[in-house]
Amino acid sequence: MSKRLNHKTPWYRLDLSAIVYPTLQRRNFSSVYRLSVILKEKVEPDLLQKAVDLTLPRFPTFKVAMRKGLFWRYLEPNDRPGPFVEPDIVNPCMPMFFQNSNRYLIRIYYYECRIALEVFHSLSDGGGALYLLRTMTAVYLRLKGYEIPDGHGVLALDEKPDPEELEDAYIRYASSRVRPPRSRDKTYRIRGTKEPFYTLNIINGVLQVSQVRAVSGKYQVSVTEYLNAVLLYALLEKQKADRVFRELPVSIAMPVNLRRFFPSKTLRNFITMVYPSIDPRMGDYTFEDIIVQVHHFMRYYINNKFLNADITTNAAVTRNPFIRVVPLFFKDFVVRQFYKRVQDRQSSAGLTNLGIIETPKEMKAYIERFDVLMGQPFSARTNCAVASYGDSLSISFASSIVEADVERLFFRKLVKDGIHVKIESNRKTG
Amino acid sequence: MSYCVNCGVELHAGCSVCPLCNTEVHNPRQAVDRTALAPFPVRKGDASPVQQTDAMILISIILAVTAGVCGLLNLLVFQRTSWSLYVIGGCAILWIFFLPVFFQKLSPYLSLFLDGAGISMYFGIIAWLHPGNGWYLGLAFPLTVLATGLVLLFVVCVRQIHASILSCAAFVLGEIAVFTIAAELLIDLFRQAPPGITWSAIVLTCCVIIDAALITIIRRARLREEVRRRMHI
Repeated sequence: MSKRLNHKTPWYRLDLSAIVYPTLQRRNFSSVYRLSVILKEKVEPDLLQKAVDLTLPRFPTFKVAMRKGLFWRYLEPNDRPGPFVEPDIVNPCMPMFFQNSNRYLIRIYYYECRIALEVFHSLSDGGGALYLLRTMTAVYLRLKGYEIPDGHGVLALDEKPDPEELEDAYIRYASSRVRPPRSRDKTYRIRGTKEPFYTLNIINGVLQVSQVRAVSGKYQVSVTEYLNAVLLYALLEKQKADRVFRELPVSIAMPVNLRRFFPSKTLRNFITMVYPSIDPRMGDYTFEDIIVQVHHFMRYYINNKFLNADITTNAAVTRNPFIRVVPLFFKDFVVRQFYKRVQDRQSSAGLTNLGIIETPKEMKAYIERFDVLMGQPFSARTNCAVASYGDSLSISFASSIVEADVERLFFRKLVKDGIHVKIESNRKTG
Repeated sequence: MSYCVNCGVELHAGCSVCPLCNTEVHNPRQAVDRTALAPFPVRKGDASPVQQTDAMILISIILAVTAGVCGLLNLLVFQRTSWSLYVIGGCAILWIFFLPVFFQKLSPYLSLFLDGAGISMYFGIIAWLHPGNGWYLGLAFPLTVLATGLVLLFVVCVRQIHASILSCAAFVLGEIAVFTIAAELLIDLFRQAPPGITWSAIVLTCCVIIDAALITIIRRARLREEVRRRMHI
């Protein structure tokens, strides 16, 4: 009996966030994001492949395949060969079909000094995937002969995964006695010319952390609040320039890393969304007004009580016995329609900030910076992702529309505030 | 290093235009370095289509077994009529409809053509089982060919010309008018009555009125923008 149990294939339920992403899967869309590390030396693909092969067994929730049950999807360990490192491409975050690439849900690319990790969002959020990227990079550097210790985001390969790393932390912490309603207004949606399939426009701005800190300090807000305010300002200006028939509120979907509020080592999804917004129908907002609004919104909503209530509302859906017995195809249909008609319309753009990325100090000599890309937006709009490493702050916009109006307004505002911005893009500029 | 004169951002050494505002870079002190290492590669990725081999095998076997078993039942047990041809034809037509799911690289034009051919074939089976007054060659076949042709034309319009929603709507209405007139003329010919337009004229009139309004909207930029804004299209 015990022998049979030992050989039983483990499987993982999808966590609360992970349930949604496979339902949105289309021929031309997958919820895939990308984390990259830019090293100071050119990447050697053979060593990188070795590093991947050595690292991945330590991260069992990334070495999985997506499977369909009768009522829910689940993740099953994947022992097929791979994933294999590939030369990078100009259009990252391509759709990731579950049956392709030996059923792996991660991709690893290299280009000159860059190592890029693409992850299907059902496996993990940016915070969890960052552990995999940092550990993989540390193993790669060790294979090159450098002494890199464990710690500061680099996990020990000889240790067994902590059960807490594999847990669905939402279930552990969803304990609010009230469930706040979710209704929000429709928001302004960027209008632009859709790019053909397989095109993802990236504009990456590299800034100095010290400069951004100094400017946000001048406004007496945090860096995230300042960047949120700048993006809201850019969206408001864009709405004005569009001369829309009826003005709508402008809102940003911002994931919050719940590990900051609820201690958990989970490497799976543990985020929830908040929506800082500005309603121009109430009057004209100056940048100073926006920044005050964002600052108070963040301080009011981002705390363990409000966030707990939010995840409890999500958890209630999966705990409901009536919802549990509905067949998967029907759940897929309902969730997709809800996301398309309600959820996606509640924000004008996305912004995520991974914050200050830590590594062992011995790694710092070999790393230039980290970049993060939120991936292809579900509807025609732009997504913004921020990551800081050392004194380097990287802001990457990913958009599926031709026009770069929001990006232009955003970076011009930073320049106007006295911040030096260096731009890189995959658009045709040569 | 060069900066965009419009945006004030520093640009990559290889940039000849600013990626934010498309302003050309003119730096008399430093020309654009076309040999500089690009920040992104040039290789374009292509997500290979999902292999639907399992689904293809399963559906093909189910359809083939259904058709085969019905054929055998017809031959050996229920022999009064050739009823199994309906089932066999239905299975064949379903298999043809599933082709784009099995082979995702199949051209949509070829797929639509095969769909049209499949429907014609099914009508042919019915006509063979019920030989009547030549309804198949007189009505069903030409109408199926016409409908397939019009759908193919519409797909060409959407895929090749990248027509807008308004243009597509105008095109569809035009096609409905053409199909209705052709249907009435064919019915008249089939009934051996003098060809003329009666009921299809009502459809034609409605389509012409809506098409005229749509074409006016499409041709006048301000009106077009206003409609797009109001309808959110």
